[in-house]
Amino acid sequence: MTAPGRTELVRYDDAIVRKFVTATLLWGAVGMLVGLFIAMQLVWPQLNFAPYFTFGRLRPLHTNAVIFAFAGNGMFAAIYYSSQRLLKARMFSDLLSKIHFWGWQLIIVAAAITLPLGFTQGKEYAELEWPIDLAIAVVWVVFAVNFFGTIARRREQHIYVALWFYIATIITVAILHIFNNLVIPAGPLKSYSIYAGVQDAFMQWWYGHNAVAFFLTTPFLGLMYYFLPKAADRPVFSYRLSILHFWSLVFIYIWAGPHHLHYTALPAWASTLGMVFSVMLWMPSWGGMINGLLTLRGAWNKVAEDPVLKFFVVAITFYGMSTFEGPMMSVKSVNALSHYTNWNIAHVHGGALGWVGFMVFGMVYWLVPRLYQTRLYSTKLATTHFWISTVGIVLYVVSMWAAGITEGLMWRAFDDTGRLQFPDFVETSIRIIPMYWVRMLGGSLYIAGTLLGIYNVYKTWATRPQVYAEVEAEVPAPTWRKPKAAAPVDDRPVDRVLRPETEAPVHWHRRWEGLPMVFSVLTALAVIVASLFEILPTFLIGDNVPRIASVKPYTPLELYGRDIYIREGCYNCHSQMVRPFVDETVRYGEYSKPGEFIYDHPFQWGSRRIGPDLHREGGKRNHVWHWHHFRDPRATSKGSVMPAYPHLFSDRIDWAEIQDRVDAMAMLGTPYTKQALADAPGLARAQAEQVAKELAEQGGPAGQADREVIALIAYLQRLGIDIKSSSAESAGGK
Amino acid sequence: MRLSELMSALGPTGLTEIALLIFLAVFVAVAVRAWRAGPGEQDRNARLPLDDGEVQS
Repeated sequence: MTAPGRTELVRYDDAIVRKFVTATLLWGAVGMLVGLFIAMQLVWPQLNFAPYFTFGRLRPLHTNAVIFAFAGNGMFAAIYYSSQRLLKARMFSDLLSKIHFWGWQLIIVAAAITLPLGFTQGKEYAELEWPIDLAIAVVWVVFAVNFFGTIARRREQHIYVALWFYIATIITVAILHIFNNLVIPAGPLKSYSIYAGVQDAFMQWWYGHNAVAFFLTTPFLGLMYYFLPKAADRPVFSYRLSILHFWSLVFIYIWAGPHHLHYTALPAWASTLGMVFSVMLWMPSWGGMINGLLTLRGAWNKVAEDPVLKFFVVAITFYGMSTFEGPMMSVKSVNALSHYTNWNIAHVHGGALGWVGFMVFGMVYWLVPRLYQTRLYSTKLATTHFWISTVGIVLYVVSMWAAGITEGLMWRAFDDTGRLQFPDFVETSIRIIPMYWVRMLGGSLYIAGTLLGIYNVYKTWATRPQVYAEVEAEVPAPTWRKPKAAAPVDDRPVDRVLRPETEAPVHWHRRWEGLPMVFSVLTALAVIVASLFEILPTFLIGDNVPRIASVKPYTPLELYGRDIYIREGCYNCHSQMVRPFVDETVRYGEYSKPGEFIYDHPFQWGSRRIGPDLHREGGKRNHVWHWHHFRDPRATSKGSVMPAYPHLFSDRIDWAEIQDRVDAMAMLGTPYTKQALADAPGLARAQAEQVAKELAEQGGPAGQADREVIALIAYLQRLGIDIKSSSAESAGGK
Repeated sequence: MRLSELMSALGPTGLTEIALLIFLAVFVAVAVRAWRAGPGEQDRNARLPLDDGEVQS
């Protein structure tokens, strides 16, 4: 509602958008190159340069860089640019904008340093340790204050649908981040999740799936609803459909997380609920895709000429494909085949490279001439970027589909005599190597396209004017607030806080939309209520995690060994969850029970099997086999792609740290004995001496008791053995 | 009665059925709202990205 004839002047802050665009491209290149490097490590394990540059430490760096640095900065660029224009208001505070930008970049640098050093919480996409998590929370609050402050100062009454998606992102990411990262610190960069086993797994995938939903989907849908109409120069096909798209997505997405845990120790009702809601996600997702593609009705001729629209069309198409594939993979019978395989990698990269990546690149190509106030250096180069990267995605995704289905089928294959047809796990690893090569080619092409894009942006930037012109908008003065004089044109932000006046009668949903705080609260309620419906029963219904009397806490040495397992990122390649399938029980042993994980802070079930499952590893092989395996995996398992870990043989156990860790676990309710609480290092030394003695007796070297490898062997030998004997006792446990 | 006892008594089936009903109710409400809004209002809202009044000084 605006006053005819009266206008006000708004001056937008595009400097902050330029910063975020630059960071997007920089971190995108870094994150993708790390991805290519770890893809190469799976073909050439010799490229694992221990201790800092092994697959297990670099894979989290890749995922964090492309999600939080590339997609994150891209999302912020989109939000800062489009929100100002949709709200017809400069950002609330230039200072907060700068704190947000530099704070986020510092967090990324902190991640890039700490992850290769092995500081990790051991939970996928939530690896960063607690001080960095606190910094993320602070920076996110700064962002939220700046965003909602801008809404409060807006000159446009209606909050456009793109902004709803941004609001949902800001609120939900905050909730997810806080509750999944609740930990007890055990040192400056060491902590344990307050949740254990089944409950930790549930929280993690509630977070993990909704990080995809609210970090990689909703903000980019907001981006789509703003930048696609701009690029096509026509309004969105159906605003009605966008309303339905938003609310359905917000309300359904939050339930879907448990589909990551089918056939695990998670109660079946929870994973079934996740599956049902995942299947329902088809509806809003495809509604959104159709809405996006139909926005181009009558403008398809532009797609042939404009690389921006090319990127957007393919991105939206990948959104449709991924949101079809995801629900399909959440169906239990499909998931039984696809889970732990490279099919997941294909699915994730279809979404990441196709949907997120191409939305970002389309936006960047549209923004760059406007931000740098010049012409794009080369449309031809942008088109080349598009085609190279599109071919790259196809090669990547198809090869990983093939690899995933091959793995799934080989793992479950029995021969005519009823034995596993491929009993040695490494047979599968070797079979999919050709697909890894094709993946590397596809990834290389995608990165080549990205580097071309960066060059194009650099050359465009080089032709920018010496001084940027101020970007201003003359907009109708609002009549739904008290009238104000036009804002002055000077160096200060021209907006000022205006107070709403009595409005004409409006529809109830319009009223919500005009009351951003109420709207935000309703969005938060949708997310929280849905979450509680799953979280409360998981935590409070006792039958979900039946106790097993023989399951005892890890001894101090095993706990220290477990921390090494987490530090090295072993969960990136090994699961610890034997599913109740014949092929898995034959291959690995008894299927995993919920009660076996009650002392696992954090859980280490993993999501992928580049190597075999380890939950029943304890007692399968002797110490000396493990000792040789860590020194040279291919000496014990020909064809293995596992890195060697020479530092485990030289680095010594830090006995002084063990007590703090046992104490932290005790704070979480782990029933350690008085002896363990009084002298955990003493117990650890005694067990280490025993393991080292057994190692020497088995033909291994003597004098290894103080080496890290001993602690790791002690942990591996403990895995999954408690249920084998009802009288199992462990040195530190009650 | 403790919350955990209440949850256990209700069981996961009852809770999930309630959840589905809530979802259905919200979905119907939003769908009704979306289709009842006037075309003029929708058209104006849809055009917001195109009407930013931007000039460069």
